[in-house]
Amino acid sequence: MKKLRKRLWLLMLPVCLAAPLAGAQDGRPAPLPEEEMRVEKASAPDGNRLYVSDFAFHHMVDGRLHIVDGKAGRYLGMVNTSFGGLTTVAPDGKAIYVATTYYTRLYRGQRADVVEIHDPQTFALLAEIDIPAHRAQSATYRSLLAPSADGRFLYVQNATPATSVTVVDLQQRKFVSEIQTPGCWSIQTWAQGHRFSAICGDGRLLTVTLDDNGQPVSRERSEAFFDPDKDPIYIHPEVVGDERYFVSYNGNLYKVRLAGDKPTFTPPVSLLTARDRKEAWVPGGMQVMALHRNSNTLFVNMHDKGEEGSHKFPSKEIWAFDLGTLKRTARIPSNTASSIVASQGAEPFLYSLNVERGEIDVRAIGKKGYPKLRTIPRVGDTAVFMEVN
Amino acid sequence: MDFLKLLDRFAERGTRQVASHTGRRSFLTGVGKILVASAFTLPVLPFDRTTSALAADDSRKKKAEPTDTDCDYWRYCSVDGFLCTCCGGTKTTCPPGTTPSAVSWVGTCRNPADGRDYLVSYNDCCGKTTCGRCECNTNIRERPGYRLGVHNDINWCMANQSSLYHCTVSVIVGLEEGQS
Repeated sequence: MKKLRKRLWLLMLPVCLAAPLAGAQDGRPAPLPEEEMRVEKASAPDGNRLYVSDFAFHHMVDGRLHIVDGKAGRYLGMVNTSFGGLTTVAPDGKAIYVATTYYTRLYRGQRADVVEIHDPQTFALLAEIDIPAHRAQSATYRSLLAPSADGRFLYVQNATPATSVTVVDLQQRKFVSEIQTPGCWSIQTWAQGHRFSAICGDGRLLTVTLDDNGQPVSRERSEAFFDPDKDPIYIHPEVVGDERYFVSYNGNLYKVRLAGDKPTFTPPVSLLTARDRKEAWVPGGMQVMALHRNSNTLFVNMHDKGEEGSHKFPSKEIWAFDLGTLKRTARIPSNTASSIVASQGAEPFLYSLNVERGEIDVRAIGKKGYPKLRTIPRVGDTAVFMEVN
Repeated sequence: MDFLKLLDRFAERGTRQVASHTGRRSFLTGVGKILVASAFTLPVLPFDRTTSALAADDSRKKKAEPTDTDCDYWRYCSVDGFLCTCCGGTKTTCPPGTTPSAVSWVGTCRNPADGRDYLVSYNDCCGKTTCGRCECNTNIRERPGYRLGVHNDINWCMANQSSLYHCTVSVIVGLEEGQS
């Protein structure tokens, strides 16, 4: 480096001496070409495109969805999500959906709730669809804004505080129905047909079936499959085909099958050993699980000394489980993450988000010990949830 | 918001008496008296307790009685959001120009001065953008949205003409059932 500096200085010397006589023959390099300003177009998502939802708590009208190249650690751009916006990405990665609220004069005036469709390559607004002003102004948990499996409809969680679900027809780009779901919360979409199930406060599932116009044709309540008083489950689903996995505050894994006539349930299985229980290891955080499908690995965000009220604590470790045997296969150090997500493509990574620092650790899946490849710094103000596509 | 104070609050949580161990049932009996569903604001900044537990323990020994601008003040046992006491209001009043929320949720907190358990309505003050001062977060007996009345990852200004969240007050609305 020292040598290089010396050489550069020597190179500059004649330039300095000749400066008063500036001209084409004065030894300076050719002038820089004139430039043209333009707008960047992001490269196509490659399986490690991260969408990081930031509700900007200290200035909440200004929420954002940060878009980051998770592999390169490069910030690509953002989509605005306004006040407590719900966000999700189409399963094929070809649309970003935002359900949000605007007032005509920022903090006052007429309220307008809308679903927005944004282009994942240009990050430009493609469409805006008016919806009833009932949508939940909520932390954007996975399952509060969900497209149907075939991409035809978009379901939006409402709370007034009476709970319901708004159905938007994405083909016709219009609101088509609002379905009452009293006492129930979240939208667990079925892989087949236009159906979703909501988790109810009595431990049951409410399953709603829609016709091809998005109108409800049946609503059925299942038997209770968990006890919300003794073993409440997080609403975050991990999805394998028809199966939905939920983890409880106490570290039990629930498997629900959304197929056939009605949901079917498998008795919960504890993810903890006797020693884990003694040390009171429990799940915690906001986005508490992640799944890598090829290796059938389930990741859970864990902390010890768990107690009542610790269910949103960030993790001390991220535990990996074989989803088939439910045996723990790794204890991965955590950056005190609140949220985790895994990518699925040729280069799968485990992403863990520290909310306080807005910092995302990137770890290689499939390599022993899940080595950390990089840390992506300063993503957002209050970034809490991630999706990857 | 003094971050250490926040840590203190959590460190002390274990010794703090908190009423209502039956969760939903006592919540419902309490809430039946007053209209209401619940309070609070969006998240819930999870804090880093793993790195600072010791520091919190040390400072706790020297710590003075919490005041109404501290997260560990007794009636904030389930508060989540910005304290109105730091935003131009008080424990029971909204800052000038804001509007009390139409819905709120009720926590149950023990007052160490008299040993009684009180029902505390956590109303939000609405209609201006977030205050940003004295951010507190407790999740004791907080539950997901299928128990919406005790869920705090949602904006409880939701039913107001302007649903913008500003800060949260903590109003005593009675004794817990069975207490005198």
